[in-house]
Amino acid sequence: MIDSIARLDHVTYTYPERQAPALRDVTLTLRPAEVVLVIGGSGSGKSTLLRALCGLVPHFHGGTFSGHAVVADQDTRTTEPRDLAEHVGMVFQDPENQAVMVSVERELAFGLENLGLAGSAISRLVEESLISLGLSRLRHAELATLSGGELQKVALAAVLAMQPQLLLLDEPTSQLDPVSSEDLLAAVRRLSEDTGSTIVLAEHRVERCLYLATRVLYMEDGAIRQDTDPQSFAAWAARGRRELLPPVARLFAGRLNGAASADDLVALPMTVKDARRRLALDETDVLVSADVRDAAPVAPATAAVPAPGPASSSRRAHRGRPAAAVEVRHLTAGYPPDRPVLDEVDLALWPGDLVAVMGENGAGKSTLVRHFNGMARPLTGKVFLGGTEVTSMSVAEAARTCAFLGQNPGAYFVRDSVADELDFSFAALGIASAEAESTRSMLISDLDLVALLDRDPRDLSGGERTRVALSIVSCGDPAVVVLDEPTRGMDPTHKNDLAALLRRWANAGRCVVVVTHDVEFAARTADRVVVLGDGGVLADAPVREALHGSLFFSTQINRLLRRELPGALTEDDVVWTAS
Amino acid sequence: MSPSTAQQGRTAAVGPGGRPATGGARRERWAGRPPTHGLAAAQPAAALAGIAALMVASIVIANPIQVAVVLGIILLVLVLSRRMHAAWPYLRFGLYITVFLFIVNPLVSQAGLDVLWETELGPLHIVISIQGVYFAVGMAVRLVAVVAAFALYTTLLDQDEQLAIMSRVSFRSGLVVSLATRMFPVLSRDAARISDAQRARGVELDRGSWRDKATRRLPLLGALISRSLERATDIAESMEARGYGRPGRRAWRRGRRWRTADVLIVLCAAAAVAAVLVGLATGIASFNYFPLTDDPFPDLSDPSWLVTAVALAAATLLLPGAVDTRLAIRRRAHDATLKRPSAGTPLQASEP
Repeated sequence: MIDSIARLDHVTYTYPERQAPALRDVTLTLRPAEVVLVIGGSGSGKSTLLRALCGLVPHFHGGTFSGHAVVADQDTRTTEPRDLAEHVGMVFQDPENQAVMVSVERELAFGLENLGLAGSAISRLVEESLISLGLSRLRHAELATLSGGELQKVALAAVLAMQPQLLLLDEPTSQLDPVSSEDLLAAVRRLSEDTGSTIVLAEHRVERCLYLATRVLYMEDGAIRQDTDPQSFAAWAARGRRELLPPVARLFAGRLNGAASADDLVALPMTVKDARRRLALDETDVLVSADVRDAAPVAPATAAVPAPGPASSSRRAHRGRPAAAVEVRHLTAGYPPDRPVLDEVDLALWPGDLVAVMGENGAGKSTLVRHFNGMARPLTGKVFLGGTEVTSMSVAEAARTCAFLGQNPGAYFVRDSVADELDFSFAALGIASAEAESTRSMLISDLDLVALLDRDPRDLSGGERTRVALSIVSCGDPAVVVLDEPTRGMDPTHKNDLAALLRRWANAGRCVVVVTHDVEFAARTADRVVVLGDGGVLADAPVREALHGSLFFSTQINRLLRRELPGALTEDDVVWTAS
Repeated sequence: MSPSTAQQGRTAAVGPGGRPATGGARRERWAGRPPTHGLAAAQPAAALAGIAALMVASIVIANPIQVAVVLGIILLVLVLSRRMHAAWPYLRFGLYITVFLFIVNPLVSQAGLDVLWETELGPLHIVISIQGVYFAVGMAVRLVAVVAAFALYTTLLDQDEQLAIMSRVSFRSGLVVSLATRMFPVLSRDAARISDAQRARGVELDRGSWRDKATRRLPLLGALISRSLERATDIAESMEARGYGRPGRRAWRRGRRWRTADVLIVLCAAAAVAAVLVGLATGIASFNYFPLTDDPFPDLSDPSWLVTAVALAAATLLLPGAVDTRLAIRRRAHDATLKRPSAGTPLQASEP
């Protein structure tokens, strides 16, 4: 019986040309069939830990490595990652950057070919991997034609085909809609249960995967601060790091109000099912509606997201106003033209709206918002920006009215420092220095850029890049701000900061549109939700109405309380009271 | 229009259980079965042989009539293989170059004896001769043929299958070609993303003089190079993690049987190459435009010309003919048997 699949012993690692270690004195033993969830903020060392477990650190990246790492009985300092590949598989964050071949089937075969398996064995394993992740219909598809979610599944299938004993997953659900995420995590769980493989999963969205874990590592500044079972981790987080917990656990942690004993904290629920059972058995307290949004700011445990102000969306309130911030009339869009992804879509967005655009992968969310600033042109129909038809202006002209932050913040960077990037944007928009100075100060303050001004934007972490790119596109003090998947790879703290900023902007009268798969973020931030699917708008309603009752595009709290407290979406929408 | 009208416009009922109806069906595309039309349905090695023959012919042959025949064959193969739409951007590029050729040709080709028109334009002495016009037309046809042959290669051949073929000779070289092929559209997408991002921050990339446009686009090049290097590093890391570079690598190919039509394609390709070689050896594939243009239709009684013509005609008729829809039907039937788990198929493989 093997007692460990991997063992790190006092590992400290520093990347080349960096001063601070990315891993600090990490000691860890991974046993067969464990599902280990790695949690931590951006730059806490999660990805580096995964790379150390497959030997890429230090072999591929270089740098300074001390301590011992033994994986599948092989010392990673003397064994190349390619030789560990038959024992360890790794799925990276960006699926587009890990595909080697042109077609799906060949991509799955690539690793197996490298392992030197016989052709017949490769055929069988490729087939089984395709089936296990529901990719059979895409077997001959070219990777260039796949969506981000499909690519993510292909990346996972390519590694699963190699049947690793240790599977490392670096934010595998970051590009997936809730349905696809559940499918993917179910496949991972099946793998662990059926084959006894050890899974190490680095993920920010704990509500999606904490229930799967048998063990949780919490990392901070390159060191493992917590290494424990999920219940003990929840008990620890409930005492001061509640943003790390799933919403249902936060709900029950909030009930204890700091007066709880260790025994009380040990049984926090991780899933809706657990929470429902706890509620049914509870005879002392009940949950009632808090009407938080109308009455008070949100609870401190989830950071201060200001409540919607008077400018927030209400259909009746906008009747009779002269112009919508964005108006879409009979929009048909997408490629190829005979199969448009959006078909005759109508939509109006108003100043002060904070709208979340949701829908499954490939539903046309990005396609829709790319029409708001003229980046995409309609096949038929019209789009108006501030009352002017978008096709009558260039994208650069529209930039003064509509800020657009795409999915790749790195695409905005063409200068060597953040300060230069801001200057470049002001110059491009033709904004005079006096006006530029005040806007610049406001952006630096709003987006907390003071410490970043002299840094090269390409060297920043994911969350920092997003903030800098958002400042770059907002130099024109735009009336409309569009963000496409801004929370991808963002830790809970930065997510809450972003939510607070967007709420402030909406309260100031801007129309803010966020394309997101993150239901919890949408529920906490938006006041209106547009759900796309089947070529059109499936739902367009205030956030509570749109998300309430949905099976997948719904929050944990709503799933828990949809019958008792309809419309409750987050733990801040309800309070405990004595029964 | 008010939001409520917008809602009425396209707001559909949310599906059972509150789950929105999926939009996946709208994105249905070919992906679950291999191509079944024309040369695209042939064995990759056979298709590669056919395309290689056409490429050789389009590059080597100088006789404009023969080149025109080759161009006709290539276009026919593109149509039969349903790749004309995909190949159109390449052909359009070839036509632009052709126009450029017509404009530049009078400035550089002044050896024609039958002068139609000549003039002085500043320091330039422009001469348009009958031979110069013939030369421009001949070169244009040849250029379009070469571009069309390249388009055929790019749009019709599965790059992974090419890699599998090349693996027998040199896997690393094949992988470089495959990666370059895969990365080209990714690079192109990156360039589009960066351009879009710059437009979204207010940079006018498409207005002003060419000098203004070039000045504004120059910083994008640095960003693109930086992005490409990042991507290359990530892919190299992924390859290493998936065992690339281990000894004992084996190339895997889907088990497809060779059919009569596949063999026929290879024979046609061989015949076409033979015709080209005979033409080169006898000089009838070569052609002179200056100072006097050769007759593109030489004496029919010349036996060497007849041999080449017959071979070329055979290839012309057979290459597209070998890949008609009957092949496609057979291919589909063959793939159906592959999917059926019966003894001897790759799906009934032994344990790894």
